[in-house]
Amino acid sequence: MKAAILTDTTKCIGCNECALACKKVHHLGPDEPRRWDREDGLSARNWTSIVEGPHHTYARQQCRNCLEPACVASCPVAALTKTEIGAVVYDSEKCMGCRYCMMACPYGIPRYAWDQPVPYIRKCILCYDRISTGGQPACTEACPAKATIFGDRDELLAEAHRRIAGTPGKYIDKIWGEHDLGGTSVLSISNVDLSFLAPQHPAGNAPLPKTTAIAMDAVPFVFTGVVGAMAGLNWIIRRRMKIQEEGSDE
Amino acid sequence: MNRVYKLKLILWTVVGLAAAVGAARFILGLGATTNLSDVTPWGIWIGFDVMSGVALAAGGFIMTATVYIFRLEKFHAIVRPAVLTAFLGYVAVAVGLLFDLGLPWNIWHMIVFWNPHSPLFEVGWCVMLYLTVLTLEFFPVPAEDFSALARIRRFLLKFRLPLVIAGIGLSTLHQSSLGSLFLIMPYRLHPLWYSPILPLLFLISAIALGMMMVTLESHTTAWLYRRKPETEALASLGGAARWVLLLYLAMRFGDLAVRGQLGYLFAPGLHTAMFWLEISAMAIVPAILFSLVRVRRTRGGQWAAAALGVFGVVWNRIDVGGLAHLRQGAQFYLPAWTEVAISAGVVAAATLAFLFFVERFRVWEQRPADPDADPLKLPEFDKVGMTWLGVPVVAARTVYSLGFVFAAALGVALIAPQPASSRGVDPQSSHRARGGPILWIDGNLNGFGVAFPHEKIEQKFGGDASCVYCHHMNFPRDRASGCYECHRDMYLVSDAFRHDWHASPEGAHLACTQCHPAGQPRAAAGAKACTACHKDMIPKGTTIQVKNYRTVGYVQAMHELCIGCHKSIAKREAKPDFARCATCHKEDRAVTDAGGPAFQPPAVRGILLPPVPR
Repeated sequence: MKAAILTDTTKCIGCNECALACKKVHHLGPDEPRRWDREDGLSARNWTSIVEGPHHTYARQQCRNCLEPACVASCPVAALTKTEIGAVVYDSEKCMGCRYCMMACPYGIPRYAWDQPVPYIRKCILCYDRISTGGQPACTEACPAKATIFGDRDELLAEAHRRIAGTPGKYIDKIWGEHDLGGTSVLSISNVDLSFLAPQHPAGNAPLPKTTAIAMDAVPFVFTGVVGAMAGLNWIIRRRMKIQEEGSDE
Repeated sequence: MNRVYKLKLILWTVVGLAAAVGAARFILGLGATTNLSDVTPWGIWIGFDVMSGVALAAGGFIMTATVYIFRLEKFHAIVRPAVLTAFLGYVAVAVGLLFDLGLPWNIWHMIVFWNPHSPLFEVGWCVMLYLTVLTLEFFPVPAEDFSALARIRRFLLKFRLPLVIAGIGLSTLHQSSLGSLFLIMPYRLHPLWYSPILPLLFLISAIALGMMMVTLESHTTAWLYRRKPETEALASLGGAARWVLLLYLAMRFGDLAVRGQLGYLFAPGLHTAMFWLEISAMAIVPAILFSLVRVRRTRGGQWAAAALGVFGVVWNRIDVGGLAHLRQGAQFYLPAWTEVAISAGVVAAATLAFLFFVERFRVWEQRPADPDADPLKLPEFDKVGMTWLGVPVVAARTVYSLGFVFAAALGVALIAPQPASSRGVDPQSSHRARGGPILWIDGNLNGFGVAFPHEKIEQKFGGDASCVYCHHMNFPRDRASGCYECHRDMYLVSDAFRHDWHASPEGAHLACTQCHPAGQPRAAAGAKACTACHKDMIPKGTTIQVKNYRTVGYVQAMHELCIGCHKSIAKREAKPDFARCATCHKEDRAVTDAGGPAFQPPAVRGILLPPVPR
């Protein structure tokens, strides 16, 4: 099973039960307004939030748990991993706090515990411990309107297509997360454009890790090439100097 | 007073300030000592300390390649200072990184936990290895002075060529990989900077910067120690730098043309201005200056071109590292003074180390003497303090220490324990609920409230007798005071008793002793309880006990009043929805979905309320 979450913003009533359930399950403590907070309400103590869009639409902001995550590709100590089931999880024991994942994430999701002397990266991990034992994430369990639901990614995609086709004109004909940047495990359907959830406005379906993969794959060849060229050049130059010297001796 | 003395005093002062700030950074955390945020997680510690630091140290591999690979002996005099700069530069990068990392004690994790897909992993490894190579390359210089180390020195010199080649390979990799770091952020970096050939651009600009940095350094130290600079060799180096810079310009603009982003070059805006200033300083103007033979051969010309180029490339790295990123919200990053202090402190410490090495060891052919170290100089006498300061070299150390301590004290004083969070909740007075049979509870009058079926509930619980279930404290001559009268603020605790009103001539006008026991007018203990005078203030049969006269906020009062019952009913009757927020906080969307009237945007949010009665 490839776990996923589908959020239907037309059903969301903006009650914040998902955010509260998340706080409770992960022991995130009370919120305090902080200088470094972003407008979307996510923080080290808030892994999901409700963002109000145009025409009184309520959309969920949370980690997309991408199928090909930029954060996983960028982490130098492999503290972030994409699990078999679909969650992108974080190992605080490995992290060294470089915050490259925060820079690399096209959705700007990972948040930092800036107020702590020992700070960690914080983001939604799709309740990995719960879903890997057959449960469902706290947020989908808490939703009173069944606006955000948990299930297999393929089944949820089918359900989303069914809803869009079933009530023509109600939804925009797009499933956010179906193909975006290689696809994500968190899907959304809506009657308004949800691009306000991603201020960087990532476009296209090409996964981001590919962009660095080209450069990183070249590394061994560049190194061998440069070292070889330098050794060869040096050999030629020394030989020519030697010949010159012998020539001047005669 | 000589130049070296003045410079060292300034540097020690900067290091002192940075020492205090550095300690604060580890005690208070990143949030309190930087302007970094969730929008801009990287600041000048990455853009300047790390990315510029690595680029500024490029002179090391350029000069070793020139002299040991291409055997251009006329540059021999510049190799040692270049390698020393590179070595100290990389140490400075590592130290700067320790301040920036959230968990610096885990920096060794890169050695154990591998992620070869990450450019940062590659940069980290290359920097570690290259720092080792540089240490081995530079070690023979100080080892000259110690006969005990002669064998190690001879052994290392035997391996100089492989070390140099490894250094060049590693430098090529990580100088370019610093550019690869940003390949994964196509939507973050401005199109004038983002390019698939960013690694190549970084490498070429680092080569040019290495040459210009060597030039700048040679002239600066020449001025400092009144030494003769290697103007002849530097002129050839400038000539070479010109070609590298022209190649860079061609690639940069060619890349923009191929990607079809030339339009941005003339689009009005901050980014365009930044781009033109940056490219002029880092490449266009230095390339022109180095092309003019008369400029290239003079000390002033070399210095000006190199200084401008170094400034430009550093600016380019800071731009790519954060300044040239697209705005992603209302926040705008400017480094805090503490961040600048740490960066300056790291540079100052590296410079002091450089001065120590050149004074102590044979980095140049001619070792420059510290003018203070002249043993023939007489001890100095301080007229103000009436003390002998000792010979100049000792006196100078005293003054450096003084500068350090003063600056550190200033740093501690300036890092006031500022709250990292906001000051807290702003006061916001609550207002009376309005309506008849249905009460519209909307304390802050934002039109977003709860419709409370007051009459229905009243009848359900038994008419007039049920008032006491909720109304637990009444004002004098009031049968059921409104909640807002005591819970006077939306979120803050307020005072239901109002001591000052009771004491004021405009209010109750009571004397102290009318409530407080005689002789103890300030003691709360022993004062009369409210009910001693207001006999019917707390109605009989109330379920809510008043413990003291500090009332919770309006929102909390309302929630505590309702939620408890709702929760128990939800549990008893197995209706979990009854305890949900949305049961009472019915928003327009819920109404619309149930077939109710559509929401009218210009009106207030949430439930449409009747007008506020005046």
